Amino acid sequence: MTLYGQDEILETLWTLREEGKSSRAELLCSTQEEAPEALLQELRSSGQVEIEGDEIRMTPAGEQRARGIIRRHRLAEVLLNNLFEVEWQHLESSACQFEHILSEAVTDSVCTFLGHPPACPHGQPIPRGECCDRIRMDVRPLVTRLSDASLGAPLRIVFITPKSVKRLEKLSSMGIVPGSTVRLMQRNPSHVLQIGQTTVAVDKDITDEIFVKQA
Amino acid sequence: MTSAWKKEEASSAVILVGNPNVGKSVVFGALTGRYVNVSNYPGTTVEVTRGETRDRGTVYEVIDTPGVYSLLPMSEDERVTRDILMREPGARVLQVCDARNMRRSLMITIQLAEMGVPLLLAVNMADEARNEGVMPRLELLEERLGVEAVPTVAVRKQGTDRLLPLLGRAKPASAAVHYGNRIEAAISRMEELLPREAPLGKRALALMLLCGDESLTSWLAENVPAQRIRDMNAVRNRLTEAVGEDISYRVNQARLAWIDRLLGTMGREDAPPRGLDFAQRFGRLSMDPVYGIPILAAVLFLAYEFVGVFGAGFLVDLLQGKVFDGWIVPAVAWVVDRAFPWPFARDFLVGPYGMVSMALSYAIAIVLPIVGTFFFGFGVLEDSGYLPRLAVMVDRGFKRIGCNGKAVLPLILGLGCDTMATLTTRILETRKERIIITLLLALGVPCSAQLGVILGMLADVGPAASITWFLVLVGVIFLVGYLAAKVIPGDPSDFILEIPPIRWPQPGNLLVKTMARIEWYLREAVPLFIVGTLILFVSDRMGLLPWVQKAAEPLVVRLLDLPPKTAEAFLIGFLRRDYGAAGLFAMAKAGMLTNLQVLVSLVTITLFIPCLANLLVIYKEQGGKVTAYIVLFIFPFAVLVGAAVNFAARELGIHF
Repeated sequence: MTLYGQDEILETLWTLREEGKSSRAELLCSTQEEAPEALLQELRSSGQVEIEGDEIRMTPAGEQRARGIIRRHRLAEVLLNNLFEVEWQHLESSACQFEHILSEAVTDSVCTFLGHPPACPHGQPIPRGECCDRIRMDVRPLVTRLSDASLGAPLRIVFITPKSVKRLEKLSSMGIVPGSTVRLMQRNPSHVLQIGQTTVAVDKDITDEIFVKQA
Repeated sequence: MTSAWKKEEASSAVILVGNPNVGKSVVFGALTGRYVNVSNYPGTTVEVTRGETRDRGTVYEVIDTPGVYSLLPMSEDERVTRDILMREPGARVLQVCDARNMRRSLMITIQLAEMGVPLLLAVNMADEARNEGVMPRLELLEERLGVEAVPTVAVRKQGTDRLLPLLGRAKPASAAVHYGNRIEAAISRMEELLPREAPLGKRALALMLLCGDESLTSWLAENVPAQRIRDMNAVRNRLTEAVGEDISYRVNQARLAWIDRLLGTMGREDAPPRGLDFAQRFGRLSMDPVYGIPILAAVLFLAYEFVGVFGAGFLVDLLQGKVFDGWIVPAVAWVVDRAFPWPFARDFLVGPYGMVSMALSYAIAIVLPIVGTFFFGFGVLEDSGYLPRLAVMVDRGFKRIGCNGKAVLPLILGLGCDTMATLTTRILETRKERIIITLLLALGVPCSAQLGVILGMLADVGPAASITWFLVLVGVIFLVGYLAAKVIPGDPSDFILEIPPIRWPQPGNLLVKTMARIEWYLREAVPLFIVGTLILFVSDRMGLLPWVQKAAEPLVVRLLDLPPKTAEAFLIGFLRRDYGAAGLFAMAKAGMLTNLQVLVSLVTITLFIPCLANLLVIYKEQGGKVTAYIVLFIFPFAVLVGAAVNFAARELGIHF
């Protein structure tokens, strides 16, 4: 699996760079791949890294790929840690699986679902994806949190991930269920929703759990 | 003869059910002619009210219930409503719907259909729905539900006269939601496990049990053998595993989907929808993070001008200075001197602790004008729909004291009457929130009677002392709330609050409501004022007052630096805090207190233990242990804060 190996090397290069390191010796010492030299050659011949003496640098193409890997890895860590409360020592190995398999669309959904977290549980920054852009030219039918949705626009609820069953029941008895159309009227001092002719004020942590699409 | 007449008269119960703030209490008033408190915010009714009415030989007992979003109870007041339905088998149900919000109203209708109760719909606020162009066509609704639906405008009694005749022939709704084969199969199995004699339709009970309704526990324990309960759990657990999702959520989704299909085919009356009018625009702005704050400040200022300046200033001066001191007291003294020429009678009526010169003068001349103006102003706020918007504004602050914005409703109501407000804590969902707010009400929220007296006194000592008093109280409320939130176990609940539209208060309702509250005040307070005065009068006669003053001296004189006579005000403050405050008011008017002493005594009496009625309600709602803790905390705490203010001001050399 050389693709897998390449991913791992690029990931290591990215994290070393965050620590201000870029030498071949440090890469060889940090990586757990069995044949790092061969993988490095592969990456060089495909134009993803440049090697000058002892120093290894990622090319823009390599950097792009590494960015995606790191992004998936750290988002997975947030997902596993915050949502599934996976124990710290299992975090790394599970996240390592995710970084190779998530497609870009799924990654963006996960990122949106988590509220575009800026850092992983270890405090390292998570590279931004397209879904994190606040300033957009086009309006895409993307799933967003209701709390992030634009004010006043009619939105269709796609899914709700409530912290408690009680909350879900309460929302559903007020007509807030997947499929309903809702508008976010204001964010401060509380979030105010309009469902049909009903106006409801709720906390931000509730609108964080409601995911909507442009209706 | 009477028995023959009685035979003809059948009797039947009618239960009013519906979403919060749809006008159940207005319909109740229209049907029975009895007034129950009506406002424009959800949760005004927290207790069940019963009234009687008759229609062509049938006596109906009409029962008003707290509003519900679902008949699967989620808060105390919702449970009250569901339990009434269980306890009154054979009752007819009049569901009051909000014509503007049929989607939510029909959620209740479906559950009532499953209960199999004879049902009639009053589709209320038809005028508003027509104005907004959302009035549903009711013919198709009647056909699909199999029950009759009457458009009403209850506040103007339009359509309400048609309700009773139609209730006479109400029948259960024929509509039924199909929940999918798996849930339907579980419902059938659950129905078989239920006892033959069930208080409600078995389909409804089966669904409640499947949805995990814990409030049915006591009914189950009495009516179902343990083995069957185990079987019921097995049915429920198997269904949960098969569905892989919370059942009540599934059920609600199926209901909403059914309703959306129905509403889709039903259509609306033709009417052009209109743009935002002034009231709606004001409603938006009053929750705005920028404009909301000046609006709040303006509301507070107007309230102060009306209650503090007009009520406590102008009206009190008029009533106490001119009417009582200038006219009634001398007149009574004149009569007494001629009719019963004993000093005892004279003292009893117009002496320093006289029934007329003290009890009635405090109750009618000092407290009543203030309470009256407060109740009127408060009624305007309630009926306009502003209060829930206030909850939105303060939500973040209330998070710090372990509650959410909803808790501001009972606290504000407490400014009217702490006793009533303590009952209203039922709209809060967790016990932790209820205890915190009950404590804060008992501790730091002065009721209208007390507040009015206090405002009257503060008006004479200048703005610096007034602002200090206000800041000390708000500080104490937040400090105690913050600490209570740490100490009292439990979780805060979610902030999900329905915001009613801003409406112009109906002058009729406003007047009736204010009068009803004033009447209630007179009945509640005047007897206690008389008892308090009697205690003082007797103590004075027996020479006990100097002894009381001496006993209280270490606290009153040493700690608080107040004149010994203040002990009397605190003594009667045990009966009612406003009465105690009125005593201070009279002392201040007589020039017996310095400005600093006014402030210290006011801080202490505001925090002082709540009145007897309030204590009884706390006991009823929260039990003896909580009540005891609250009293044991408040009494020393009030004196301590008063002493702290006194000490700090003297150390800093501030004498106001």
